[in-house]
Amino acid sequence: MLGFLLRRLAASLLLLLLVLTFTFFFLRLIPGDPARIFEGQRLTLEQQQRLRQIYGLDRPLPLQYLAWVSSVAKGDWGTSLSQQRPVSTVLGEAVPATAILGMAALAVEYFLALLLGIASALRRGSALDHGIRIVTLLFFSLPLFWVGLMAILLFSYVWPVLPASHMHSVDADLMSPAERWLDLARHLLLPALVMGVGTAGGTARFLRASLIEVMSQDYIRAARAKGLSERRVVWVHGLRNAIVPVIQVFAIQLPLLLSGALIVEVVFSWPGLGQLTFLAISTRDYPLILGAVALSATLVILGNLLADVLHALADPRVRDAQE
Amino acid sequence: MRKKFSFRASILVAAGVLLAAGCRQAPERTAGPDPASASGPRRGGTVVTGWTAEPGGVNSLILPSTQINNEMLFRMFLHLIEEQPDFQQHPATFKPQLAESYDWSPDHKTLTFHLRGDVVWTDGVPVTAEDVRWTWQAQRHPDVAWELADSKRWIDDVEVVDPRTVRFHFSRVYPKQLLDANEGPVFPKHAWETLPFAQWRQNGDWFRQHLVVDGPFTVASWQPQQQIVLQRNERYYEKGLPYLDRVVMRQIPDQSNGLTQLLSGELDFLPQIGFGDAPRVKASPRLELIAYWFNLYVAVTWNNERPLFKDPEVRRALTLAIDRKTIVETLLGTYGKVADSPILTSVWAHDPALHPLPYDPAEARRILAAKGWKDTDGDGVLDKNGKPFAFELLTNTGNQARTDATVMIQDQLKKVGIRVTPRQVEFNTLAAQTIAGKYDAAMMGYTIDTSLDLRSNFHSESIAEGSNYSRYRNPEVDRLIDLGAAQPDLLAERPFLNQIQQIAHRDQPLTFLWESQRLTGVNKRVRNVRPTPTFAFFNLKEWWVEPKG
Repeated sequence: MLGFLLRRLAASLLLLLLVLTFTFFFLRLIPGDPARIFEGQRLTLEQQQRLRQIYGLDRPLPLQYLAWVSSVAKGDWGTSLSQQRPVSTVLGEAVPATAILGMAALAVEYFLALLLGIASALRRGSALDHGIRIVTLLFFSLPLFWVGLMAILLFSYVWPVLPASHMHSVDADLMSPAERWLDLARHLLLPALVMGVGTAGGTARFLRASLIEVMSQDYIRAARAKGLSERRVVWVHGLRNAIVPVIQVFAIQLPLLLSGALIVEVVFSWPGLGQLTFLAISTRDYPLILGAVALSATLVILGNLLADVLHALADPRVRDAQE
Repeated sequence: MRKKFSFRASILVAAGVLLAAGCRQAPERTAGPDPASASGPRRGGTVVTGWTAEPGGVNSLILPSTQINNEMLFRMFLHLIEEQPDFQQHPATFKPQLAESYDWSPDHKTLTFHLRGDVVWTDGVPVTAEDVRWTWQAQRHPDVAWELADSKRWIDDVEVVDPRTVRFHFSRVYPKQLLDANEGPVFPKHAWETLPFAQWRQNGDWFRQHLVVDGPFTVASWQPQQQIVLQRNERYYEKGLPYLDRVVMRQIPDQSNGLTQLLSGELDFLPQIGFGDAPRVKASPRLELIAYWFNLYVAVTWNNERPLFKDPEVRRALTLAIDRKTIVETLLGTYGKVADSPILTSVWAHDPALHPLPYDPAEARRILAAKGWKDTDGDGVLDKNGKPFAFELLTNTGNQARTDATVMIQDQLKKVGIRVTPRQVEFNTLAAQTIAGKYDAAMMGYTIDTSLDLRSNFHSESIAEGSNYSRYRNPEVDRLIDLGAAQPDLLAERPFLNQIQQIAHRDQPLTFLWESQRLTGVNKRVRNVRPTPTFAFFNLKEWWVEPKG
């Protein structure tokens, strides 16, 4: 198991380096000179040149790359061009917000997926199954920003029960810790629901297919023959085996979650990585884009690694094969 | 005529129509004094405002001169004098701010400011002439690379006569001397001089950590990507001001969400409302819509270096073939008017002799035919030497009015045999393409401030360094701009400005499309809100709120 982990870690590091190298060079193909974008159109040519020197953008691209890799290796991700602050500080402020939103969205997604997936599988071909399929497909197909805006319109304007944006209320500074947590939960509900509901459909369909396959296996028939209750057959014998492929879906969904966060965070003014990346791209803030990509790529790679480990733990055949 | 709407916009408009149905529409007001405020301002309270972007920091010398940065920082740091928004009939006047008065030397090359004695930074240190001089040094320093450093080009020295007297020495006489001396707020030397200029661009946070201000507001808290809370500066020199305790600047990148929050009462103030959303704001009994002419015009920029657009007569024909009145009425309604000059009609220096060219497709066809453009192959598109009259019209994404206008122009020019391909590109890509001259035509917005600087958009020297995106070259215009810049004041520059406007009207380097109003939404509980074309927060210190209940 340790050898497997080390091999996967080495491969992950190589993959991360490739992603960052690719991003570094392709970013520069996008039109737009940061020295002009940040400072408007009134800079003299001399000033533009000075800014490029200050930001290290005046050197040949390969040299810029080597300098960047070298500073990253020392733990220095550079300075955000748009905020003139260390990239690590800027990212550090945004990560908790995205983590909270991501975890809440995952919780919503898997809670709904489990309920709907099991119900569909057990009532295969019924009106309930068809209904779930249509509704989940609808939410899966609708653009996230549209669902977000409609949710805001419904729950913050027509029926104003939830805040329309942000992570905290205007006067959150004056609240007690308990009130602040409640305030956060209220603000979290709408964006987490929007993100979670969209992806729950796909996961539910996946779980449904997996559960249907599992429920037709001989050991399920054997369990039933032993006189176990249907609930026990489904939840203990069926679901435990059906969930294994869903764990792998979790890893695949991490990038989807991050790209979803990019949209949802902008719509809901959520102060996370998504909104930050959006801003960094629109201002050609190269160091910040690279930092955000590195962080996202690391999360995705770690997610995959985690999925493999969980898969190995859940399925003894995989574990044995690796050993 | 084909019209294109975004899905999101159409949904919101539809929802807005439903929600607004049955509601009585309240009249809008202009940005003049709030008549109801005569009942008397009250001290205290919080106003929550919504902005699509977040200020980049507290030191404007290392930040772009964007609206959001200036809105906040100009309420935190004082200028020597404050420009007033009274430029309709004459050049803008000034009110004392840090300086209680100023005077000129007989040769108009030395400007002396006499500073107030009662202005202090929030740490109690007095604001002195040393701060003014040090700020000027920072503004000009190459390592600081301030965007507006060019405004200090003709200031040779800033001399500290005594702590309350500071003297600007100019190397020449020109119309914008006072504006240039006053450009940029004064910063605290004693608090910020310990960080060398060379390190400023890497240490934006440092200035937040060492923040002292002399304006009416200071920063109480700053939550990145969320909100900034401004609070009253208790040491502000104007006793009794500001009225508000706190002003919250909430960052809401999505404009639709901002509007929803204004309508629901979560926000008290939204600086910019879309034209299509105006009826919803007017329909709300608790909101007020303030409309005022903005310092921006939208134009189709023809790349004058491309063979298609080299000839002024052809550009004139293009303008004649575009029905600008219909475009403005359709897209802006009563909130816009057809533009005819780079100097806006709301500004004192607009040449009253100018009138927009009419919509005259027959005359456009005649001019084009005289220039050799004929439909020889019967495909409906004019051609010359085997080449069709076809081009790409760019505009930036995220601006529905401009996107719709490109489609309307495509339709109108098709009627005279010109094939237009509208294309939307991301804003910075559009900027990069137009700066590099790699485009045919582009629909863009141009802002113009009270300095009425036409050099950056129309002087041939501004093609390489400046904002002459149309790449327009006319030696006569260059000469007039240079002559105007040698006058002692803006009034003396006016004859030259008039001639330049007339030549631009004749040559049509751009087709001026429209000037528009800016619409600002305010909750009626907030009183005395008077936005200007430059600042939504112009008189923030004088805002006050009605007590609850």
